[in-house]
Amino acid sequence: MTNLRLAYRNLMSAGLRTWLNAAVLSLVFLTILTAQALLNGMNEQTERALVATEFGGGQFVHPAYDRYDPLTIPDAHGVPPVALQTMIAQNQATATLVVQGTIYPAGRLQPVLLKGIDPAQQVIDLPAHLLTESSDEIPILLGTRMSHGTGLQAGDVFMLQWRDRYGTFDAREARVVAIFRTQVQAVDRGQLWLPLQRLQEMTEMPGEATLVTLAPGHDPGRVDGWIQHGLEDLLADIRNLVRSKMLGSLFVYAILVFLAMLAIFDTRIFAIFKRQREIGTLVALGMTRNQVARLFTLEGILNAVLALLLAGIYGWPLLGWFARTGWQLPETTDSYGYALGEVLYPVFSGDVVCETALIILLMAAVVSFLPTRRITSVAPTDALRGRVF
Amino acid sequence: MILFLVKGLLRDRTRSLFPVLVVTAGVMLTVVLYSYIKGSENDIIQASASLVSGHVDVVTRAYAREEDQVPNDLALLGLTDLMNELRQSWPDLIVTPRIRFAGLLDVPDAEGQTRAQGSAVGLAVDLQDPASPEHVVLNLADAMVSGRLPTASGEILLSEIFADRLGVTLGETVTLLSTTMHGSLATANFTIVGTLRFGVAAVDRGAILADVRDIQTALDMQDGASEVLGFFPDMVYRPDAAREIANAFNTRYGSRQDAFAPLMRTLRDHNGLAETLDLANAVGAAIVALFVIVMSIVLWNAGLMGSLRRFGEFGVRLAIGENKMHLYRSLLVEALVIGLIGSVLGTALGLLAATYLQVHGMDISGLLKNSSMMISNVLRARVTPTSWIIGFIPGILATFLGAAISGLGVFRRRTADLTKELQT
Amino acid sequence: MRFQPSLAMTVILLAAVMIVQTDTEAEDGTSWPSGDTILAEVDANAGSRNKLIEAAMVIHGRRGTRTVQSRSWIEGTQRSFTEFLAPARERGTKMLKLENQLWTYTPTTDRIIKISGHLLRQAVMGSDLSYEDLMEDPELSVLYWARTTGVDTLLGRPCWILDLAAQEQDIAYHTRRVWVDQERAVMLREERFAKSGKLLKTTEVREVYEVQGRWIANHVVFRDMLKEGDGTEFLLESIDFDVEIPPHIFSKAALRM
Repeated sequence: MTNLRLAYRNLMSAGLRTWLNAAVLSLVFLTILTAQALLNGMNEQTERALVATEFGGGQFVHPAYDRYDPLTIPDAHGVPPVALQTMIAQNQATATLVVQGTIYPAGRLQPVLLKGIDPAQQVIDLPAHLLTESSDEIPILLGTRMSHGTGLQAGDVFMLQWRDRYGTFDAREARVVAIFRTQVQAVDRGQLWLPLQRLQEMTEMPGEATLVTLAPGHDPGRVDGWIQHGLEDLLADIRNLVRSKMLGSLFVYAILVFLAMLAIFDTRIFAIFKRQREIGTLVALGMTRNQVARLFTLEGILNAVLALLLAGIYGWPLLGWFARTGWQLPETTDSYGYALGEVLYPVFSGDVVCETALIILLMAAVVSFLPTRRITSVAPTDALRGRVF
Repeated sequence: MILFLVKGLLRDRTRSLFPVLVVTAGVMLTVVLYSYIKGSENDIIQASASLVSGHVDVVTRAYAREEDQVPNDLALLGLTDLMNELRQSWPDLIVTPRIRFAGLLDVPDAEGQTRAQGSAVGLAVDLQDPASPEHVVLNLADAMVSGRLPTASGEILLSEIFADRLGVTLGETVTLLSTTMHGSLATANFTIVGTLRFGVAAVDRGAILADVRDIQTALDMQDGASEVLGFFPDMVYRPDAAREIANAFNTRYGSRQDAFAPLMRTLRDHNGLAETLDLANAVGAAIVALFVIVMSIVLWNAGLMGSLRRFGEFGVRLAIGENKMHLYRSLLVEALVIGLIGSVLGTALGLLAATYLQVHGMDISGLLKNSSMMISNVLRARVTPTSWIIGFIPGILATFLGAAISGLGVFRRRTADLTKELQT
Repeated sequence: MRFQPSLAMTVILLAAVMIVQTDTEAEDGTSWPSGDTILAEVDANAGSRNKLIEAAMVIHGRRGTRTVQSRSWIEGTQRSFTEFLAPARERGTKMLKLENQLWTYTPTTDRIIKISGHLLRQAVMGSDLSYEDLMEDPELSVLYWARTTGVDTLLGRPCWILDLAAQEQDIAYHTRRVWVDQERAVMLREERFAKSGKLLKTTEVREVYEVQGRWIANHVVFRDMLKEGDGTEFLLESIDFDVEIPPHIFSKAALRM
């Protein structure tokens, strides 16, 4: 206890120097957390977008449907089971009907997928509300990549052909009501969005759908007939990719930890070197070498603890705010001439906070302990004269 | 005076060795981090570059417009001449032809009837030429799951999941049904000699990797290809150089307005990659900026601490008659010298480490569960002109500022107070 | 026992014949023959026990024009065997249609593969026709109700205009319009429509000639009207009716011979 009080008093008596060192170390600590959070946020950005725009809280699909095999689409439609219909009615899920079609932009034949969605749905982040029917023309929503691939712009009218449930051809003019921008290519490339009911009428598939997307946090449990795909399953690919990138992030983390080590090293080593005489005096006054080593080690740890406390005081609200509001990325123009103004949300992890804090405490202890051992092994008289190193 | 100061620095390790070590370490970390972040930005797009876009690619204008449909009727013809021209004009660019195709893979039973059938997405690359860059570009060695790479005509690889779905084993013959570039039914028999993992479920579900010559024959695309991909020699994307090459190429063909005129695009021109690149650049820049700022603060603090501890010495020097301004100037010069030496050493060491990482990289395949084409197993750095100077910001500037600010204490305190600090 | 229809049955039979035989009235008061009758005559003109056809298909693609030559044995409406003769790359490729199933054989692979399901919607040889179009029952009277709606002149010939409506829900083209030579009962033009009434495909006859007492179109152009392009031309080089066709031809084994 004496050591602890002494260590604390030594720290406080150094005044500005202590607070300065603690502030710098706290800044380093927060920098490590922020850098990791930005990397995690970047990696999770895609997953976040996929959940918001495509997968919601998971999906139920028609048993014939295989999203990777377009040959299954003509048969993959049916009335969703009652449990799912109830969820759809309560806005806890949304139905999508997928049908093959063909468009003829500028006289070129182009196969597309027609996806019917309820304009009033709020489950996935798609501006389906823009699909208002104001004329005979079929209202169409498409993404920027599809717009680029077809040459279709907002307001353009084009010919759309499809086959109904019996295989009979039908064709009508369609109008692009809006173009949306999304990170998720799977809701953009090769497809057009239109009102669900309209598509059901066009194909004579009343009340039918190909898949039902659940709102996050809602799960009907087991549903007979349709196949459930949970988020684990749907996000497997992207999570694998992210896991591999995590190893790359570890390298960045290691460099940041070295930064912390540098900060600790430079303050503690200097301090100990400059206090050789003091150490000699303490030994001469009767302190054992181990007690001296313990004292300096405690000082180092306390210094680190002070830094962490300081980080907690100003860092917690600051980083919390950052996590909530995110970082507005600089606006640039994408390859289609659309403004990019994405917000990147840093992802702070409790694990990283604890691990980094522990590493810093450990390093502070080691960096404080080792040189002290050296000093305490020499004769007190040499130490008093400052002749240790 | 400078010589005197340098001698003084060298004789007192606490004034020289440790500060220089600290600055060297700080600068080295800055250089390595910056170069690594640059390398990992490249990594993010590397998978897309390898599989899809190259660093630059050449397609016909018509193909570029309808690329999503994989319209091989709009493919490049006159491939040999085009490749020769590219190699002559840009000898450093690694060029390689590719054919993308789709179709059905039909597996026969003992009587030759269909036993299984599946939709297939195919990529034909130069596999048989031992000097082909595709082995490196596609990370084939790591992506292979079983069997071997094709060495003879008529041999293909399937994605592991596809092979499982079809229930085929190595050595079995399968039939590809596709469409020739003229629209006819294309059929060809192939022997499966290996399986691999692409790393993307949509592709792994039904992927074929074949040799480009075999597919040229099968799809009646003699001397043709869907695209020609170009890569920079160290597989590092250089946006300015790529743009320059593309502009020069497109100017050369600018007079041709027909739909089949070749068009060169850079990686950024491909759908969606620009955004990914910008995001990675923004995050990387933020991390580096944060690091440089904090490193500067750390080194500034080191400089500050170093000077604060010498107040006793300053007191003595003032007491024996040294001018305050002279003292302050000597402090600044010392800081500058330390900063310079530390920055030079740190930059040299940092560049050494970064260059090693750029050339050899760090192999993490042992730590990855499932290697595949998409997932790079080697972490690399990238040394840029900025790597040479970025360390000097914290190294000189911060150290100098630290000493400058703390040295102001010389002016504010009385000599007697300074001398007293000698005791502490 | 002698069959003696009752009075009621006679009335019913007569009524049925009258419904079928009902002529349509033109605007000027003259009456046109019923569409079903005309369509039946068209089918009778083209139909036979069997036929042997040699033809060339000229496909106008985006990269140029190709000509594919073939020889086909056709029995009734349900069985056909086609062998491609040229160009060199297509030579030896064969297709067998048996009712609603289609197989193909290529010598390069020595495999007989069934083309089924949604593959049937693929274009044949890059033409404007799909396998589904080829598989379609050529007797329109089986698939459609017909109504005579006008007259016109094509290739200098007076024609009936018939509007056809699909009899079943699962027929690819909901309605069609055909121009039939009033005297020769050969179709000179056909338009296929979507359910909305949008024109999807046309078949235009450029030339007809008489063979064995029948009038046959020997130069036909198919076009997908929604896309750019010059369509696909069908050139009949020779046609023989009621020939001796070896029975084994319509078997999968014949694909390999």
